Amino acid sequence: MSLFGIIASIIDGVLVGSVYGLAAMGLTLIWGVMDVVNLTHGSMIVAGMFALYLLTSVLGITPYATLLPVLVGGFLVGLALYWIAVHRMIGRAPLMSLLSTFSVNLVLIGLGTAVWGTVLFNVPVSFPGVTWQRYTFPGTHLLAAALTAVIAACLYVFLYRTRLGKAIRAVAGNRQAAELMGIPTTRVLALAFALGVALAGVSGMLIATLFPFTLLSGDAYQLKSFVVIVLGGLGNPTGALLGGIALGLLEGLVTPFIPVSWTLVIEFALFVTVLIAFPRGVFALRRS
Amino acid sequence: MTAILEVQEVGKSFGGVRAVDRLSFVIEEREILGLIGPNGAGKSTLFNLINGVFRPDAGRVRFCGADITGASPHRVARLGLARTHQIVQPLEAMTVLENCAVGACFGRENLPRARAQEAAREAAVFVGLEDRLDTPAAQLTIAGKKRLELARALAAQPLLLLLDEVLAGLNPTEVERMIGVIRRLRERGITILIIEHLMQAIMSLSDRIVVLNYGKRLAEGTPASVANDPQVIEAYLGDPALARELAGKTRA
Repeated sequence: MSLFGIIASIIDGVLVGSVYGLAAMGLTLIWGVMDVVNLTHGSMIVAGMFALYLLTSVLGITPYATLLPVLVGGFLVGLALYWIAVHRMIGRAPLMSLLSTFSVNLVLIGLGTAVWGTVLFNVPVSFPGVTWQRYTFPGTHLLAAALTAVIAACLYVFLYRTRLGKAIRAVAGNRQAAELMGIPTTRVLALAFALGVALAGVSGMLIATLFPFTLLSGDAYQLKSFVVIVLGGLGNPTGALLGGIALGLLEGLVTPFIPVSWTLVIEFALFVTVLIAFPRGVFALRRS
Repeated sequence: MTAILEVQEVGKSFGGVRAVDRLSFVIEEREILGLIGPNGAGKSTLFNLINGVFRPDAGRVRFCGADITGASPHRVARLGLARTHQIVQPLEAMTVLENCAVGACFGRENLPRARAQEAAREAAVFVGLEDRLDTPAAQLTIAGKKRLELARALAAQPLLLLLDEVLAGLNPTEVERMIGVIRRLRERGITILIIEHLMQAIMSLSDRIVVLNYGKRLAEGTPASVANDPQVIEAYLGDPALARELAGKTRA
């Protein structure tokens, strides 16, 4: 394979990886603010995929116009999930929220399988690509990465340039102190959780514009999110985006040389290595 | 003089232990009221009952005339009641200025971000953290963190400030500086309720002192009268004979 081919593969990997980063931002935001490992993450990614499918095929909306409804819908579903599965587990052993979100995840996937089965869905999305040398970068990949960049920038501005973002960061820093400083922490927790779920949903929607999916695809992407947040440092959304890009870069680098079935092995070898060598994450230099 | 805080017959038990037992007292506006008592007397519990961390089993708490019994802590904070913690509670991963800005944003004045930033800077300068504004809170020394606790509470523009052992763990020079800061706070019109174990400091700071023992009020009065109260001396020293002897000496 030519050098251009490898570079093209890496660039494409980075484009796709940024979307993994977006998914992971949702997971890591929730962990960072409330120490909850949200195991409904996978089913929320799948929900985003199915939202794209249903909105385009049943209502006839153009694929990229589903972004806003998915964001809003994800937020509302996230609020509901918070009150159902998470609220009573706040401040208790992390295992409690792990189990409760795990159970809700099973219920949701079970319901979904009963309705749609586990057949492969494919949402046809076409968008003009960019050709470089003999290689064409699909327009869907470019657009997904661009939208990811916009959403990540919006999240950053929200967290660091608004009062509500300040409240979220304060609660992440010290919940008790934040409450005593006049912040309604329960509402802030619900908001952060809903935001995390909305990010998972949107990332699922974007992934579904790239690849075919089934109702059970969530697990694989949830696992990728874990790899990404470990790379980026737990609880650090900016790190998660960088982690996603790093993972995509790695995937792009190895796919020309190794059968696809090996990528998961490599990713998890990396996961274990990072946990041992950089327990605070490779991109977590700023956190004290 | 009008009462800013009224604690009426407040009680709280944990299991079978009466941490605070039908306690009543009043703080007047612009007063510094000292709260002392042996370890486990219920001082910190009382703070938690006042600002809503615990809901009292009995009694009422009134702040500026409004009943705040059992109100959630963030509501109480917004009314203008701020506190510092005995064990410092900085907001991790935020700088000194950001910590204070959170206090200003969500405190009594509910300031927008830009003005909160100004109030935060002013509060940080007031307690002497002007050269640490951009330092991450986690990197401050213990004295710095105690100052930060105070600055953050101050940035909220409170009417009443609850100080929980702000002097503990400081060296004598730092104690002197902190006492100066507290005095200047009162000059700004802030009423202060202070828990402290450093007797000399609290005796010189307070207008009045309430002594707690086993959750009950053991004594109340001016620093001088409390210091000479045999019951108080007994509670601290645990020996009635020695207490009488000491009381006799101070009277003589």
